[in-house]
Amino acid sequence: MTATLLVTGGGGVGKTTVAAAIAIRAARTGLRTLVVTVDPARRLATTLGVTNLGNEPQPHEDEPNLWAAMLDASASWRAVAMRHADPDVAIRLADNEFFRAASEHFPASQAYAAADQAATFVQAKAWDLVVVDTPPSGGGIDFFTAPAQMADLVGGRLLRWMTGGPLPGRRLLFNAAGRPMLRMAGSILGSDLLERVAEFLLDLRTTYDGVSRRGREIEQVMRSAAILVVTTSDPAPVWEAIKFYRELPKLASTPAAVVFNRILPEGWATATSPVGASPVLANNLARWSAETVRQRDVRDEFSARYGAQVATIPWSMSPPTDLDGLAGMLEDAHGMPWGSFGIE
Amino acid sequence: MVSGKGGVGKSAVAAGLALLAQRRGQRVLAMEMGSPGGLSAHFGTGALGFQPREVRPGLHAMQMVRSDALLEYLAIQLNIRGFSGFGPFARAFDALATTAPGIREIITIGKAIWEVKEDRWDVVIADAPPTGQIGSYLRAPSTIAELVPGGKVRAQADMMRDMLADPKITEMVLVTLPEELPTTETEETMDWLAAEKVIPSPRLIANRVLLELTDPSTPPGPLGEAAELHRALWRGQQEWLRRLPPEHQLPYLFGVFTPGEVAARMCDEFETIT
Repeated sequence: MTATLLVTGGGGVGKTTVAAAIAIRAARTGLRTLVVTVDPARRLATTLGVTNLGNEPQPHEDEPNLWAAMLDASASWRAVAMRHADPDVAIRLADNEFFRAASEHFPASQAYAAADQAATFVQAKAWDLVVVDTPPSGGGIDFFTAPAQMADLVGGRLLRWMTGGPLPGRRLLFNAAGRPMLRMAGSILGSDLLERVAEFLLDLRTTYDGVSRRGREIEQVMRSAAILVVTTSDPAPVWEAIKFYRELPKLASTPAAVVFNRILPEGWATATSPVGASPVLANNLARWSAETVRQRDVRDEFSARYGAQVATIPWSMSPPTDLDGLAGMLEDAHGMPWGSFGIE
Repeated sequence: MVSGKGGVGKSAVAAGLALLAQRRGQRVLAMEMGSPGGLSAHFGTGALGFQPREVRPGLHAMQMVRSDALLEYLAIQLNIRGFSGFGPFARAFDALATTAPGIREIITIGKAIWEVKEDRWDVVIADAPPTGQIGSYLRAPSTIAELVPGGKVRAQADMMRDMLADPKITEMVLVTLPEELPTTETEETMDWLAAEKVIPSPRLIANRVLLELTDPSTPPGPLGEAAELHRALWRGQQEWLRRLPPEHQLPYLFGVFTPGEVAARMCDEFETIT
């Protein structure tokens, strides 16, 4: 049985670092652990041993039980769609400029490819725990909505509108050109352009069964996973965290905890400077004390308003860059729901 | 155009710049181009609509709504008016926009450019999409020009491309933080902009910069601990500021501030540097 942990959160909150630290801790408790990451900072990538391109899990040289893989952020769902297309359709698709554009620009496409790769690792049943640092595209929520969005696009919502029929054949496409809205759209964009879009969608439609079946498998993996939402106490990441916390129960499952990273020592909230202290340092302490109070207020409001379990990780003086440093950042963490992803 | 990696405070900078222009008596339009909520929070106005609303004397603010922008684009730019059944059309358009490249982006950026062309404003300040997406918006006019061989849409796209690239018309501000990931993403964006030349070269603003502590001592207790943390963070920031030197630095704001207070502080800072 492979436990899965999805680590989500806004950009710049240390999500990748937290995912790596959890994976190292899991590996050190004896769990065979794979950490899957996207676009890590260079030093962290080196520490995890994922400097090479490609997305095959690599066993870590210095840490038994730890594997690491980097999701290919440039991978589109092109490969996925092609896998489900007949050979002649696949050739037509490959030549179609709209397929190329859609696989590059469709916002959910990279998220879909990432979710597909992550689900494949979980289904391989080769690890006790798979920790996934989810990609940030589309605010990060795309990772969870992509399977449905893909099925929707491939399923031909646009195609049904263009042809006015439930399941058009190639011949019907040309009758469609008589519809008033299409005539109008054609006069703006050129009828040739619309025809090429429609042909592309017809070809894509043939992959629907395969893509939607795979989409359901991916959703199944997400629903049985534990989720952590990582944030700092700054307004923008907190706003993202609230969005995650409210949306994820519908898309996957209720997050096991909201992890506040870079937390200042609780004692600073009430700390005062001794009489005769240097004015520069006293002023400095007053400012960090105000910051500590603000952090506490943000956490209290989050747990009161949304009923979330709140965990905290202290602010370290310098970002941890080696395995021990990463493992160490969780030593003083509070409220981590270790049990929900199988760590004793 | 104000952009930056998500979470660096670009909405606050855009709001601060809009307030500065307003203070100087200019007629200002502030536009939320990306995800809604950023600008309105900093103006303390509640949700904004597609129609510009006066949020301070002389300062109007609006939020991009793609379906409204499309209607306006069809009506004003292409002279197509009065078709019925907009609901289904809007839904289908949305599907088309996710498939055909450049359409969603051209509608959005086209609205900003159209407001610049109109003589209603002295300055239009856009809280633009984050750096991860800004490329497809700035390149949208060229993308459309490549896909559409001729006609009205093509002519519009050519016009937009020229206005965006004109340094007398368009300026870009990139907001960053003195940290590793924002720095590398900003560098990548600047390289891309330099290669594509779709917009004049950006001005760089570093946000949340710590000031150096002038007292090097470390007394026991929280007084010394806070000093040590501050120095460690300051040293880390200096490394990134040296690697990517910004034109301006905005100070870290300690403690509790509402978004409105943050924007007002930014505006005061800009007053001192411009």
